Amino acid sequence: MFYTIIEQVVNGIVSGSVYAIVAVGMTMVFGVLRAINFAHGEYYMLGTFGAWFAIEYFDLPYPVAVVIGVVATAVIAVVVGNFVMQRIVGAPAEAGVLATLGVALILQNTVILVFGGSYKFFSGGYIEPVTLFGFTLAEQRILIIIVSLIVFVGLELMVTYSRMGKAMRAVSQNIECCAVVGIDVRHIALWTFILGAGLAALSGVLTAPVNVSVYGGMGELITFKTLPIIIMGGLGNVRGTFVAAMILGIAESLVATYVGLQFRDTVGFATLMLVLMWRPHGLFSAQARF
Amino acid sequence: MTIELSRRGFCMGTALIGLQAVSSSAFARTEDGTVKLGLVAPMSGPNARYGAFSLRGAQMAAKEINGAGGIGGRKINVLAGDSQGTPVEGVSATRRLIDQDQVDFIIGDVSSSVTLAMQPVVEDAGVLLLNAASSNPKITYKAGVGGFKWTYRNYPTDENRALIVLQYAAEKKGFTKYAVLSVDSDYGRAAIEFTKKYLPRFKSQILTEDYYKEGEVDFRSVLSKIRDSGAQAIIMYGNADSTPIVGRQMMEVGIAGKIPLIGNAEFNTEKTIKAAPKALEGAIEAAAWLPAYESEKSKAFVDKFTAEFREAPNNHAYVHWETTHLLAKAIEQAQSIDREKVRTALSKIHYASAVGEVTFDDHNQARLPMILLEIENGKPAIKGAHSAEIDYPK
Repeated sequence: MFYTIIEQVVNGIVSGSVYAIVAVGMTMVFGVLRAINFAHGEYYMLGTFGAWFAIEYFDLPYPVAVVIGVVATAVIAVVVGNFVMQRIVGAPAEAGVLATLGVALILQNTVILVFGGSYKFFSGGYIEPVTLFGFTLAEQRILIIIVSLIVFVGLELMVTYSRMGKAMRAVSQNIECCAVVGIDVRHIALWTFILGAGLAALSGVLTAPVNVSVYGGMGELITFKTLPIIIMGGLGNVRGTFVAAMILGIAESLVATYVGLQFRDTVGFATLMLVLMWRPHGLFSAQARF
Repeated sequence: MTIELSRRGFCMGTALIGLQAVSSSAFARTEDGTVKLGLVAPMSGPNARYGAFSLRGAQMAAKEINGAGGIGGRKINVLAGDSQGTPVEGVSATRRLIDQDQVDFIIGDVSSSVTLAMQPVVEDAGVLLLNAASSNPKITYKAGVGGFKWTYRNYPTDENRALIVLQYAAEKKGFTKYAVLSVDSDYGRAAIEFTKKYLPRFKSQILTEDYYKEGEVDFRSVLSKIRDSGAQAIIMYGNADSTPIVGRQMMEVGIAGKIPLIGNAEFNTEKTIKAAPKALEGAIEAAAWLPAYESEKSKAFVDKFTAEFREAPNNHAYVHWETTHLLAKAIEQAQSIDREKVRTALSKIHYASAVGEVTFDDHNQARLPMILLEIENGKPAIKGAHSAEIDYPK
């Protein structure tokens, strides 16, 4: 009984790590652009497709495929960032919603047009199970947890100490003042967006070996999983996002075990409603940005 | 005045021409010496592939029958109607075949929802509908003693499948405790409903019951629960695309090779087995027919079809080929193309199909065996054809 609970918590942490990496990119983009990026899941999909393409067509080893997936997505993000995301800075909220939804449709359908709509089989990665403290996990999942921790520590350090990180925080607090003191807001917005898209792609490539199937519509599910997390974590709050992702992962895992798998997807939105009723600024401090 | 007269004349003239056309075609039907067989199938739309296979199967059978001299000297003429896989188009196609082409018999459709919509249409017209590929049990719940006198089905239902899988698992494997992990759709849920209906017959029980959403990727939690529940097998009626993911995660939580998957979700394809060989070992799946089935008639069909169309036949090609032959046999035994007589002959038929003998029950449902596959050493092994008797709801 106790063992089962602990094991399900571990399962939850594993899925939470994946949510966390995707969600942190989305929350940072929100902080800077003040727009929910509805296309965020598509970068997760693009990263996975990039890696799948590298493995299937060029027979490259998995670590190289990871790099290719992330770089390819970053290149696409540069294009989308220049043509779409930069223009959202300071625009009304509905412009951001429409623009990112449009981008999501274009990216998704382009991939379906090029590669077809069927499910592809992702063959790379380290899927052998290993036993750790009595729990069996695929090696890949341990990799996911480690990478997730590294990413979060790195992001904390970046936004605290680096010039770019400080500029990001400044933009998320007051766009006009940044312009006055000479911070290039559009430049910061572009780089934040590319970083966010790259992180989503990384998360996609890391989970592909355990999720096995790759298909054009896979990003949509991720976008809708991520929304409740970034709202719970407090929009634009990096640390809050990490904790919220873990809470959601563990809660989902326990619901799947003790209530039923068919109820799992309701957890995110049920928690979201509770949070919005009692703590509309998120579970953590409303002031904290990054 | 003159104008009115000529208008009346025109109307009467057209009416007369119309009448003549109707009566002449009625004569043609009885006297041109052919058997007109309508085939309703999705010839266009997303399931067009199924329609193409169905038509090829039926045409190949017609060619064989005509080549051997026809049925009592009458040649079979197959007329295709396109249902596009939707009930609305299926009904229009059926009406066109009955009213314009004046067919005597119809085979169709692949999709269950189309077949359900066609049933009242053929009932009104008194045309015999012999379904060859729809699996929804409702079609024959409502046929024969259940209501529709003109609908017959020569295809196993989802209920047959659930029952046969359960019977095999209980009798051959000795399983009594099951976990359910099926797709959250009409198909997945209905299959489990039918499984539950027959659980008492095999003194078995379901310990855990979960349904996954299409596109679900995280099965770890539910698989750990199944591992700890003491279930001997996982009943899965699901999506082919989810099976590799489940297989991989079964290996992770350590139940691969210990708790097999049983049901239907493409356990036997090379792609699925390659994704998780250890988890798929021992998986049991039921199919209406498959090209690898070892019987003389089945193999001869596969060879001939492949030679003719340069493509291996699928299940739909086979069932339409076999059903056209079955109908021809019924017409031959009736010694007439009179629909009433053919229907009586069909109810009494003992037909030797490629998978076993076909007879019809009082719901006009064929008693058909299903082929069971078990994955052994990474390859699907055929475990013979099995049949079971359905309990109809009272």
